[in-house]
Amino acid sequence: MAILEVRNLKVQYSAKGPEILHGIDFTVDGDDFCAVIGPSGAGKSTLIRCINRLVEASEGDIILFGQSIRPMGAAELRVLRRRIGMIFQEFNLVNRMSVMDNVLSGRLGYTGALRSLFKAFPRSDIEQALHILDRVGLADHVDKRADELSGGQRQRVGIARALMQKPEILLLDEPTSALDPKISRDVMSLISDLAREFAVPVLCNIHDVQLALEFCNRIIGLQDGYKKFDGPAKGMQKQDLDAIYAMEVL
Amino acid sequence: MAAVSALPGMRIDQVVTGRRRRRYKRWMIAAAASLVITLCILDTIVADTDWSRMGGALGILGTLARYLQLDFSLLPHLFVPAVETLMIATLGTLLGCVFSLPVAWFGAANVTPSIHFFYPLGRFLMVLSRSIHEIIWALLFVGAVGLGALPGILAVAMRSIGFISKITAEAIENIDPKPVEAIRAVGGNQFQVKYYGIVPQILPVILGTIIFEWDINIRRSAVMGLVGAGGLGLIFFRQMAMFNYGGVTMVILAVLSLILIGEIVSHYARKAVI
Amino acid sequence: MNITPPLPKEAARRPLKWSRYRYPESLFRFGGLLAVLAFLAFSISFLNVDLSRIIGAFPRLGEILASRYYPPDFAYVMEPEFLRSVRQTLEMSLLGGAFGVLLSIPLAWFAANNITLSRRIAYPFGRLAIISGRAIHETIWTILFVSILGFGMLAGILALTVFCVGFAGKLFADELEAIDMGPVEALQSTGSTPLQVFQYAVLPQVRVAFTGIAIYTWDVAFRAATVVGFFGGGGMGWYLKRTIQQLETTRVAAILLVIILLVSIAEIGSSWLRSRIARMR
Repeated sequence: MAILEVRNLKVQYSAKGPEILHGIDFTVDGDDFCAVIGPSGAGKSTLIRCINRLVEASEGDIILFGQSIRPMGAAELRVLRRRIGMIFQEFNLVNRMSVMDNVLSGRLGYTGALRSLFKAFPRSDIEQALHILDRVGLADHVDKRADELSGGQRQRVGIARALMQKPEILLLDEPTSALDPKISRDVMSLISDLAREFAVPVLCNIHDVQLALEFCNRIIGLQDGYKKFDGPAKGMQKQDLDAIYAMEVL
Repeated sequence: MAAVSALPGMRIDQVVTGRRRRRYKRWMIAAAASLVITLCILDTIVADTDWSRMGGALGILGTLARYLQLDFSLLPHLFVPAVETLMIATLGTLLGCVFSLPVAWFGAANVTPSIHFFYPLGRFLMVLSRSIHEIIWALLFVGAVGLGALPGILAVAMRSIGFISKITAEAIENIDPKPVEAIRAVGGNQFQVKYYGIVPQILPVILGTIIFEWDINIRRSAVMGLVGAGGLGLIFFRQMAMFNYGGVTMVILAVLSLILIGEIVSHYARKAVI
Repeated sequence: MNITPPLPKEAARRPLKWSRYRYPESLFRFGGLLAVLAFLAFSISFLNVDLSRIIGAFPRLGEILASRYYPPDFAYVMEPEFLRSVRQTLEMSLLGGAFGVLLSIPLAWFAANNITLSRRIAYPFGRLAIISGRAIHETIWTILFVSILGFGMLAGILALTVFCVGFAGKLFADELEAIDMGPVEALQSTGSTPLQVFQYAVLPQVRVAFTGIAIYTWDVAFRAATVVGFFGGGGMGWYLKRTIQQLETTRVAAILLVIILLVSIAEIGSSWLRSRIARMR
């Protein structure tokens, strides 16, 4: 069953600006680990950000968990967003907060005003945070500040924050491009293990084709705002890649 | 040497004349500056100073010597005014922070309620707060609320607004938008986005600025008494009026020890917040 | 290849307990907060501060300004006598700023712990000079100099000089302590004298920053120069004092407006100049 369905999605940042996406259609199913690949500037990041409306689409329809998300009001959108976990390229942690507070901030969508004012999260949240931090290998860094960690560790904090939401879909926006190759592989393999454990579908935009082919079961190829490929990772041929990256001559 | 002499003569000439021209330019700037300074000296120090009234080097030394005869009898009367000075500085800084909140909010380009009205208003208030000297603020408030500690607190507060709100506004303008985006993505509401995304980023800067300003405000509140606004300045003024120079020195020493305490406290406080 | 999952045994052993503040830390935190709050409450009662009067101060100030200080007597500030004092204020700030900056360059050199001439003598001397300039408020300096040298601009200029030494000296010293030591070592290893090292390895690194600081110092000195006259140091402050004592409030208003105007112009001009210089860097 399709968790996410995107129909004829078009994005234009301003009325007179260029159109970034020219009508994209695809679906993501409950057990998918779906990669969006393509040359830089193809609109990968824009596409991912449309799903939780960090970027507003200008045309088309996005149906997530059976609801159309584009007409949603602010309150409805917040309720939707807390079901979507997002992991960012540059981790997007609050550097001066502790690892624990960064992870707990994943629960903000479920936390009332008074509790969030005093940072008094429920005990169950704290226990869950400790479990997840342990699972991503950061149990010894709970009270450190986020900016004391290395890049790979910070991305693990980002992963833990997303998992705290008990997400029903994970969006990954270039989760590895700020990391070196060895760490990138570790982080991707951690994410794919966790996605299986938590049984959550993943939509991942990634520029490293090797990693995409290794960890994902489906590939969507974008080029200059058009979908050029959509199919299982195993069936992907060299000419498919060449078609996607045709514009990138040099 | 062979390599040097192989250079064409023209190139060497170019370098030499270039250096000479730059040196000439530097001399011209220095000459202009000294001319301005000399004219200022002629117009102020030379024209305005009555050298004979100073009583020569001996007279000056005599006055200095009188300052050095410390008046220890004043010591017990200094404690309460010193505490008062510290309190004026603290309350003034706190009040200044309260006043700074809206000013910083107005004057930060990315969060201001209206870029055409409130933003210039905020910026204007920042400049106004700093362009009026604390002595003048104190005079105004002494006129409005009468003598006592209150005009001193208000003057210190008004003078603090400019610096605190300027730094705060800059900190708000320079925040990293990425964590803010992350909090939005987990479904945080407007308050949570600001409280978890913006506040942790700017809080250390603001606290550091407040501590710094408190340190300066101790110096300022020590002179509030000169215009009738309480604290050590009042004792200083009285000792000066009585020509009790030894007492004046005692007051200055009290001010210095107060400032020393302030330095120590602010040193540790700053370490604690950053 | 997959290094991340920790051993399950280890995970089970780890106690799942976490609280924001551990025991001694929480005590310090809340104790400190409590002490500050208690001090504030005590201050308010000790100084007899009536909180309602704080709110009331501003309407009252506005009322007084409107009734007594309005309309400002602009004819008074256009009199040649007053305009001369404005010129003198400007000159005083220039002289105080220039002397202060010139003095604080060597003092900052002494007081910069990475390049100081000697740690035993020059360093404490430089630090002491800068700290005493900063610690004592400029009005107190003015009163002291007036009592020693008599009324007049000389006392004001000297007070401003000391003030600028404290102000610029600290900023200069901070700047000097942040320089790249590489060129310094390179020149020292060529056998240069300390003065040569300062001129060729240190000054080029800080020249732009020093220029900016010097302009800023003048800006601050001008602000202070408007009030040194109040305590006998010459310039427009003297007119302020005289009109206040004679309760010529409309003239006071005019003088205050002139001060605000001039200081704002000085501030805008200096920040414009500084941003231009910063771009040259």
